[in-house]
Amino acid sequence: MAVATTASSGPVDLLINVGKNQSTKTLLRVIILCFIAGAAIASRLFSVIRFESIIHEFDPWFNFRATKYLVANGFYDFWDWFDDRTWHPLGRVTGGTLYPGLMVTSGVIYHLLRALTVPVDIRNICVLLAPACSGLTAFATYLLTNEMTTSSSAGLLAAAFMGIAPGYISRSVAGSYDNEAIAIFLLVFTFYLWIKALKLGSVLWGALCALFYGYMVASWGGYAFITCLVPLHAFVLICMGRFSMRLYVSYTTWYALGTLASMQIPFVGFLPVRTSEHMPALGIFGFLQLVAFLEYVRSAIPSRQFQTFLYVALGGIFGLSLLGLVGLTAGGYIAPWSGRFYSLWDTGYAKIHIPIIASVSEHQPTAWPAFFFDLNMLIWLFPAGVYLCFQKLEDEHVFIIVYALFGSYFAGVMVRLMLTLTPVVCVAAAIAVSQLLDTYLVARSPEVPDTEEEASDGHAKKASKQGGLRASSQPVVGIYNVVGKGFIAGAMVLYLLIFVQHCTWVTSNAYSSPSVVLASRMPDGSQHIIDDYREAYQWLRQNTREDAKIMSWWDYGYQIGGMADRPTLVDNNTWNNTHIATVGKAMASREEVSYPIMRQHEVDYVLVVFGGLLGYSGDDINKFLWMVRIAEGIWPDEVKERDYFTPRGEYRVDSEASETMKNSLMYKMSYYNYGSLFPPGQAQDRVRGARLPEQGPVLNTLEEAYTSENWIIRIYKVKDLDNVGRDHASAASFEKGHKKKKASKKRGPRVLRVD
Amino acid sequence: MLNITLYDSVIACLSLLSSVAADANAAEPSSSESASPSTFKPPQVFKNANLVHVISLEKNFAKEAINVLIENVSTEPQDEYFLPFTSSQMERVGGFEVKDRKDPDVVGFVAEAVEVDPSSNLQYYRIRLPKPLAPNGQQTLGISFYYLEAFTPLPAAIEQSEKQYLVYSFSAYCPSSYPTIKQKTEVKLPSSDIPDYTIIAASGDEKEFPVKQGSKLTYGPFPEVPAGAVSPAKVRYEFTKPVTHVSQLERDIEVSHWGGNIAFEERYTLYNQGANLSAQFNRVKWAQSQYFNPQTYALKEMKFPLKVGSKDAYFTDAIGNVSTSRFRSNKREAVLELKPRYPVFGGWKYPFTIGWNADSRRFLKKKSDDTYLLNVPLLEGPKQAEGVGYEHVQVRVLLPEGAENVKFYTTAPESSITEHNVHLERTYLDTIGRTVLTIKARNLVDDLRDRELIVSYDYSTVAILRKPFVIFASMMAVFTSMWAISKVDVKFSTK
Repeated sequence: MAVATTASSGPVDLLINVGKNQSTKTLLRVIILCFIAGAAIASRLFSVIRFESIIHEFDPWFNFRATKYLVANGFYDFWDWFDDRTWHPLGRVTGGTLYPGLMVTSGVIYHLLRALTVPVDIRNICVLLAPACSGLTAFATYLLTNEMTTSSSAGLLAAAFMGIAPGYISRSVAGSYDNEAIAIFLLVFTFYLWIKALKLGSVLWGALCALFYGYMVASWGGYAFITCLVPLHAFVLICMGRFSMRLYVSYTTWYALGTLASMQIPFVGFLPVRTSEHMPALGIFGFLQLVAFLEYVRSAIPSRQFQTFLYVALGGIFGLSLLGLVGLTAGGYIAPWSGRFYSLWDTGYAKIHIPIIASVSEHQPTAWPAFFFDLNMLIWLFPAGVYLCFQKLEDEHVFIIVYALFGSYFAGVMVRLMLTLTPVVCVAAAIAVSQLLDTYLVARSPEVPDTEEEASDGHAKKASKQGGLRASSQPVVGIYNVVGKGFIAGAMVLYLLIFVQHCTWVTSNAYSSPSVVLASRMPDGSQHIIDDYREAYQWLRQNTREDAKIMSWWDYGYQIGGMADRPTLVDNNTWNNTHIATVGKAMASREEVSYPIMRQHEVDYVLVVFGGLLGYSGDDINKFLWMVRIAEGIWPDEVKERDYFTPRGEYRVDSEASETMKNSLMYKMSYYNYGSLFPPGQAQDRVRGARLPEQGPVLNTLEEAYTSENWIIRIYKVKDLDNVGRDHASAASFEKGHKKKKASKKRGPRVLRVD
Repeated sequence: MLNITLYDSVIACLSLLSSVAADANAAEPSSSESASPSTFKPPQVFKNANLVHVISLEKNFAKEAINVLIENVSTEPQDEYFLPFTSSQMERVGGFEVKDRKDPDVVGFVAEAVEVDPSSNLQYYRIRLPKPLAPNGQQTLGISFYYLEAFTPLPAAIEQSEKQYLVYSFSAYCPSSYPTIKQKTEVKLPSSDIPDYTIIAASGDEKEFPVKQGSKLTYGPFPEVPAGAVSPAKVRYEFTKPVTHVSQLERDIEVSHWGGNIAFEERYTLYNQGANLSAQFNRVKWAQSQYFNPQTYALKEMKFPLKVGSKDAYFTDAIGNVSTSRFRSNKREAVLELKPRYPVFGGWKYPFTIGWNADSRRFLKKKSDDTYLLNVPLLEGPKQAEGVGYEHVQVRVLLPEGAENVKFYTTAPESSITEHNVHLERTYLDTIGRTVLTIKARNLVDDLRDRELIVSYDYSTVAILRKPFVIFASMMAVFTSMWAISKVDVKFSTK
């Protein structure tokens, strides 16, 4: 489209004329969509090219491990999978507590390729699944946008925006093998099918919508967004007096089939009828029946009687169902809103009540620059697009408005939910941009209204007539002026180019690091890879017992399970807060307190992440306060957050650090033996910029088993009980040759027992 | 590069050595071990007129060479000479080769393990002489073989920066099934730091054996000893180098005629069988010691000299790419230098995978119309000063789809090959599957790195064109069926 403004020479004219033909247009669209999909995939491959085909971050490692299990053991074993290598000694009913959609998709692709005798490594399928799905998402956005507007460019623009918007790339780069990888495609496609079903009032489309909704439920916990948004859309339509048989048919079909489909997933099970999050959908389903019934009654009886009937029936049913809901909730049949849900309304809620949710960075409220960072110019085009939806305001535009409203709110509450906002931003922005371009990019002014009128509808006719009038009186000003057109179109093109540049920059710099592997630069500019995580995990995998239990903070649970293949105490599934708090307590307490905890949990090795040598800020000392807080939530008498700060309220690790801090197991494990790397008294923590005390911490119950090259990972072995029954501190001091303290001193003076 | 004259001799060998030749239809099982009666004792038809036994312990496997002058003492011509091993030695012995020391042109010695009573502690290797030895005839045999896992570290656990000492047990008299008139045993050690060795009563001029000369111990010469006599001896010596042991090596060689490429991939299961750490690994000490770069028994680095022209090398393990590798490839050399993720100390394990590509013109030659010859190294493991032992080696040669009449020949000791077969395997859009030649060998050492594996196979033009045709046909089928489906009207009514 940009080409048409720059020149009106022969080839371009030819191109435009060629484009007039319907089948050529289709072909062009297909080619453009293919290019968009190609761009979407290519822009996600930074990490594969820079590093390697590797699974990123934390959660994807679990998904990858589960996929490998599925591929190795088949679907039924996967369904019944009880994993005894996590949450030791509790284990996890993994098959029943995950969303299997992602793994099953990869498994199906894997077996399909196998059947075609293309032996692709399952890891490569997992790594490249997210980029491949982003291509499909771009296509789904194209379809959805085409339902909103008649402009032929809006869909393509929306597809292009969706393909490269950083808000979506952040969760779908190659290697980011997470549920969101396929869920966003399913989300957009389900919405498209819903709009299609609503427009046509078709059972077929409604059923298709339910089918993809079922797939979505199988894939991501975020399905609740659809479960709430579609009923809300229906409700708004009813309130606007837009109840129609189309709405009735499509909603009823979707709800009945979709709910049944969602209940097939073990993790969801009976939640759709038992939790409050799913109640709006059920309520609207009932409400629709009611409205439909009233419509029927109205057509059957006279209007006066109908009025009375309406009040009585409506009031009665509403009251009854509300009572029923309250009663069932009170009786425990319907679960009240969950904590994570409350934190959507009150951003401070989680911090006070559920520290484990607040400790995850992606659950924090969004900072406003993040919107610009993730969406760039789309964020200011977005309101314009929503405004244009108000202008037309068909049923489907109401959907965009409702979606925009709720998406914006949730994206503001939680960083992570930027993801659900991105599709609607892309659609709305594309509508706005295409409106602008359609207006300003047509080189010809409608000065000859007759030729245009034939094709356009009445509204356009009026506008063009006015334009014709104005153009005849003042031919050089207004929007028909070539200069004005050129300026606007040029500015738009510039914005689009900057947008592409921004997206590429953000993707390349912010979202393409696997975080398992760190990259740094050598003095000569060549890339140096810091691979401490894998070094240590590989060491664990090869040189420890197969069933050696590893204790670490829960962040690393999935990675240890996936890369080191060793049982862990806690992992990123965080289903048992008490167990996590136990680990937190072990880390935060003195050795004498921690050792029995570790013995009770059969811990063989303890793993800590320490960034002090390298200046790696995501280490355990920086996460330590969360461990303290979570432990304090369960044992408020034994672990107190205040004790870890200096009297002046500072969080310090140097010689000023509080005694509790210095004696905590985490502090000791992080800094044990660290000073011997430096000249005496020069030990420096590069993350916190602190000089460490000259006397390093002493560990009695643990021994250093392995430290990675750059000290990022430190692994300690839990000592066995002493052979002659001493406690470890006295055994260690005996080894050092210290004299045993006189026992009599401890016992105190002998006293006669007097009864 | 190909050596044309070699090929001619190879073809002769291929036709001669029908026992190693396998064809696609009848993959006969390996028959190197034949049954003998349980009360087997080698017939006393030889005597060892003179014997020199050289034990080299310079590498992390033991190399033994027995140079013996044999004499037929019976009245009939004899062609079977037996060499005894204990059953534990039998499991670890490999690379068994026999030569004529006097006349290198004499070829055709066949050495194979004979299965006597499996419960007996005494097992035999049978050497079949190319020509029966006439009564009172003499011949000088040069017998050489290797023992893997031959050492035990003593002390078994040491500090990270300590010296490592290994113990090797042997017999001062060379074990033999025949009376030996005169013999001596030489033990070559990597250094002169030999704190302990067995001292035995001497004969002749010396007061006691062994005689120590620098890093060499000599037991003998001894006067006549009867058949089966042993004199247990031990030596403990410094060996502060990794005792690298590969328990399993899987080597895949994939030949592509269309791509003009040969892809190599090797999967190692590597152990360090040296002394264990007596305390846990200490990173500070390790990092500090790296400035001085002292001798250490931890495996830090491996060098793989590949064939010139190798490219696209990679080094991965179970959790992905290992970034600490370097690959230099130029006109003179192609060296892959690897550093494991962590220094592999005694008792530690490090499995890994490496792979690379090479131009097939360097390895593949068209012999006649449809017959091709492939000449690749049997083994291309790391070249380490301290040596590497391979317990199980599996070489798979993946030939193109439709290759048939597969024969192979290798210059490696025949007794090391335990099994070979030809079967089909389906990968990358195959319809009938590729012809795969699998060769299993055991107890190889890196001294045998340069041994060749030569495979000849028939590959017709029709077979070459099979894959493009299959892909073309299936694409056409997809398009045709799409077109046909689009023509079907599934609507209930036409509006």
